[in-house]
Amino acid sequence: MKDKINGILSEAEIKIAAAASEGELQNVKSAFTGKQGSLTLLMKEMPKLDPALRPEMGKLLNLAKNRVTELIDEKRMELKLKASEVSPDFDCSVPGLLPPGGALHPITQMCYDLNDTFRSMGFEIFQEDDITSELYAFDKLNFPPNHPARESMDTYWLDGHSTGSTNEKLCLRPHLTGGSVRYMQTHKPPFRFVYPGRVYRNETTDAHHERAFFQYEALIVDKDITFTSGKVMIKAILSKVFGTDVPVRMRSGFFPFVEPGFEIDMQCQVCGGKGCSVCKHVGWIEVMPGGSPHPNVLRAAGLDPDVYTGFYVNIGLDRLVMMRYGVDDVRLFHSADLRFLGQFR
Amino acid sequence: MKLSLSWIGEYVALPADMDLKKLAYDLTMSTVEVEDVEYLARRFDKMVVGVINSVEPHPNADKLRVCKVDLGGDVKEIVCGGINLRDGMRVAVACPGAMVRWHGEGEPVEIKNSKLRGVASYGMICASDEIGLGDLFPASQEAEILDLSAFDAAAGTPLAEALDLDDVLLEIDNKSMTNRPDLWGHYGIAREIAALYNLPLKTIEPYKPDVQSDFKVEIEDPDRCTRYIGVEMSGVAVKPSPYQMQSRIWKAGMRPINALVDITNYVMLATGNPTHAFDADNIVDHIVVRRAADGETLTLLNEKELALCGDDLVITDAKGPVALAGVMGGAKDSILPKTTRVILEVANFESTGIRRTALRYDTRTEASSRYEKAVDPERCDQALSLSMHYFQELYPELKVTGFCDRYVKKLQRAEIDVSLTWLAKRLGKDLSNEVIRQKLELLGFDVAIDGDNMHVVAPTWRSTGDISIKDDVMEEVARLYGYDNFEATEFTTTFTAAINQLDQTLVRGIKEYLAFRCGMQEVYTYPWMNDVYANAVLQNLDGVLKLSTPPAPELSYIRSSLLPNLCEAVMKNERYFDEFSLFEEAQVFFDRNYTSPYDPTEALPEQRRHIAAALASGRKDVGLLFREAKGVLEYMPRFTHMEGFAFRKEEKPVWADSVVWLNVYRGEEKIGDLGLLSKKVSLECGIKNLSVMLFEIDATKLVPLRSRTNKFAHLAEYPETDYDISMLFASDVKWTDIYDAILGQKKASALLKDASFVDEYRGKQIPSGKKSVTIRLTIGSGEKTLTSQEIESAAGQVMKKLEKKLGAELRTQ
Repeated sequence: MKDKINGILSEAEIKIAAAASEGELQNVKSAFTGKQGSLTLLMKEMPKLDPALRPEMGKLLNLAKNRVTELIDEKRMELKLKASEVSPDFDCSVPGLLPPGGALHPITQMCYDLNDTFRSMGFEIFQEDDITSELYAFDKLNFPPNHPARESMDTYWLDGHSTGSTNEKLCLRPHLTGGSVRYMQTHKPPFRFVYPGRVYRNETTDAHHERAFFQYEALIVDKDITFTSGKVMIKAILSKVFGTDVPVRMRSGFFPFVEPGFEIDMQCQVCGGKGCSVCKHVGWIEVMPGGSPHPNVLRAAGLDPDVYTGFYVNIGLDRLVMMRYGVDDVRLFHSADLRFLGQFR
Repeated sequence: MKLSLSWIGEYVALPADMDLKKLAYDLTMSTVEVEDVEYLARRFDKMVVGVINSVEPHPNADKLRVCKVDLGGDVKEIVCGGINLRDGMRVAVACPGAMVRWHGEGEPVEIKNSKLRGVASYGMICASDEIGLGDLFPASQEAEILDLSAFDAAAGTPLAEALDLDDVLLEIDNKSMTNRPDLWGHYGIAREIAALYNLPLKTIEPYKPDVQSDFKVEIEDPDRCTRYIGVEMSGVAVKPSPYQMQSRIWKAGMRPINALVDITNYVMLATGNPTHAFDADNIVDHIVVRRAADGETLTLLNEKELALCGDDLVITDAKGPVALAGVMGGAKDSILPKTTRVILEVANFESTGIRRTALRYDTRTEASSRYEKAVDPERCDQALSLSMHYFQELYPELKVTGFCDRYVKKLQRAEIDVSLTWLAKRLGKDLSNEVIRQKLELLGFDVAIDGDNMHVVAPTWRSTGDISIKDDVMEEVARLYGYDNFEATEFTTTFTAAINQLDQTLVRGIKEYLAFRCGMQEVYTYPWMNDVYANAVLQNLDGVLKLSTPPAPELSYIRSSLLPNLCEAVMKNERYFDEFSLFEEAQVFFDRNYTSPYDPTEALPEQRRHIAAALASGRKDVGLLFREAKGVLEYMPRFTHMEGFAFRKEEKPVWADSVVWLNVYRGEEKIGDLGLLSKKVSLECGIKNLSVMLFEIDATKLVPLRSRTNKFAHLAEYPETDYDISMLFASDVKWTDIYDAILGQKKASALLKDASFVDEYRGKQIPSGKKSVTIRLTIGSGEKTLTSQEIESAAGQVMKKLEKKLGAELRTQ
């Protein structure tokens, strides 16, 4: 009897350990402690046993039964913790849900990227009004009267303010630089600031021309700055935009409000400077004008050009964003089309 | 501007092994942007001179001929439809592989061996416009083959070589040389190249007149005409100019006309100084340069009839104007087919006057575009010398019968003093005096150095405004030394305080809040409004500024509110989306409150910065949409750290629904509106199915907090319980009334911590005139854990108070 009990017990231990599911475990349970279970059957044989052995055997049998129940409960818990909450054919390949949230306009994103970069170099952020006078759009920037640029910039003049002397003529600003004079007038040098904003030109639009577009101006004014410091500002912009150091070159360029003036080119990022159709086979792409503020501009801002000088760059944000993402039509920026804007989350 | 390298080479000794890529690079870096370097011969690749041996009829086509053409060694059969084919004719043959334009039109196509109406043809015998030479060899009629019989070239000679077109064209961006009048001609660029590479430059010796006569010219306005040279000549005639002159004029992008006109154009392209020739027989008495009288008329060479004004400078004779000075000659008195005597004009006119006149009559010409850059009057000497050289060469019989040089306002060379210490500081590099002197002298400057002072005298051709201050001199030194040779210099700074621009941070914070937390999409729209949306949304456009030349007639108003353009954006997006939200931050403008913040003479209109949004949905009920929009504004101050604002109901926005709207107030000042776009305005905007909640606030009125102000609150020590009650109220009772009743001056129960709105319901089970409001009460104590009896008793107190104050009833169902 004793051996039988021990035999059943070790058999139960093996079977419980081998059970891989709740169902199997249930089968094991009925095989040992169920109505026809081997332990239950043994229990039924007790009356046939020698009465002297009954107490001991009864105790052994109860211990064995308790042990099996205990092992089954343990195994059940173990199986439960191991099991998945879903059926095994659960599909993990279905796409995730888009987290809720809108987005900033890609131009704003670029602008904030640059703001962060320049802030880290101690630049302030400046903002100015869209409507300005010809006095600030041209006179204070050293554009002589009748200078071709006054017309080439095809300014949007305001109705009822489109004639008279230059301080009376009002327009939507054709560029940001006039606003920089306002900053210089009201701050004490040395200073350095960036000035993002939208500008307006009365021209025919196509995929590369817009009537309203965004510029980003950066200006530093101090004593004894050389134009070669400008390269630092330029590199700051381009490395932020492209995420890598981009070779740049400064070449002779003419703008009335700077002296010396530069056209600033960056190495074509498509061909790496070897020459391709994007850069018209020269390896360089014109990205921005720059230069030292012309003495007349500093004077117009009330600064002494013999004491102060500086460096200025002005970059077109639309163009940078187009290069960043490969956008091929500048007009999309003002389209308010969510199919376009939703791509820049 | 297009320049011929071989022509430039006539004035500067270019090395035979000149690296053209480097030349283009160096010019671009230091002087002007070279946009293209074109090897002209490549246009004529696989084209040769052919000699026609025989012309036979085509067996299958009346209009075609079959020619046997000697291509130098090989004789090939070529089918051709030309009408002037003859034996022995020299022709241009495009061999297989050449690119031509059929009949001078369309994209270039490649010539291939082919069969024409059953007869094999090797390439093509070309008309001039088929190989891009229509301007150089104008055909007199259709299907006329280019006849090269006058050229002494053997059969098989490459066409480019035979026609002297084996040249390089430099294309220069005109915009990059607006400030350099000296560069507007081949000689000017040659002079610049000579300076860049220290190469010898040919001088043009002045012409020495040898004539005694009473021929004269008069200048009445010396400010507008600083110099006028007239040369009267006889023994000329209209005939073609020599081929080299024609081809050079063609390479520079103009068209050869006849020898007399060609000389004047050639001289302009060479020196940058325009010249003109009058038929001397048509000039009555002598030439007077003066202002036009108001109402005087002149018919130009291009047949344009002008009614002149007093600001126009004209060349006149005793009868009246014969030319619009510096712009264009008159039709009547310029070179005519029968001209035998001419008066040559080599003159200098003041730039801005020429520009005004050219713009006034919309007549920009090669001449005016050069004069308006400010040509120096000394250049007349070169132009005269070159003109006379060609007149004498082309007309050996020519006699100069009159000469007059009126130089009334002599050019002063610009003189500038530059401190060498200043120069070194601004260059960021110490260049030796010798280097500085050498660079400037190469450019034609006279340099005298005395201690720290350098006295510089600019050459005449740089003295018309181009070089005027010491910064200009610095630029000359730097660009000739080579910008590539200056290393980037870091800038240093001293910090006194961290940059803390609260207003900038606030606007950025709001935009990021709207985009990232509220799930809205930022848009940019134009500052002008379409009349449709402006009228629909704003209804009254008094005091709204307008553009004088708007992008389109219906886009003349510039915005005083961001909402019209946002409504347009909603309308456009409705096609693709049935639920979305947009916001825009931009300036708005008002024709009022003009101020002079920077210059006392300037008066700028009121300009404010607004933030506006549209939440559009075709699915949500208006109540929910309203709560979402209101929530965006309500929580904005908390999340963006600014002083809070309040909602009031004072003045309905014109675009809003009659019930669903609120005004936004900061203190006693209204700073914006919130509301549902009314059905009427929606329809006028073309919005078909969407409900649209709008808000617009004046960002200039928002006040950022100097630092964050929200306070820390201790965590509750004992549990707090949420307990929902639903009660029936008269349907016009407001939530604020309920909230006030519960948590106003006296709290309904000491254990009440907060009460919040869950929802409200009107419907079947609710008696009419009533609504059910579900309120969530937060109940708790700072001293102990409450029993359920205590909680229910606190809730009961709240319900009793609501019954008493607002007549509320417990909802039984």
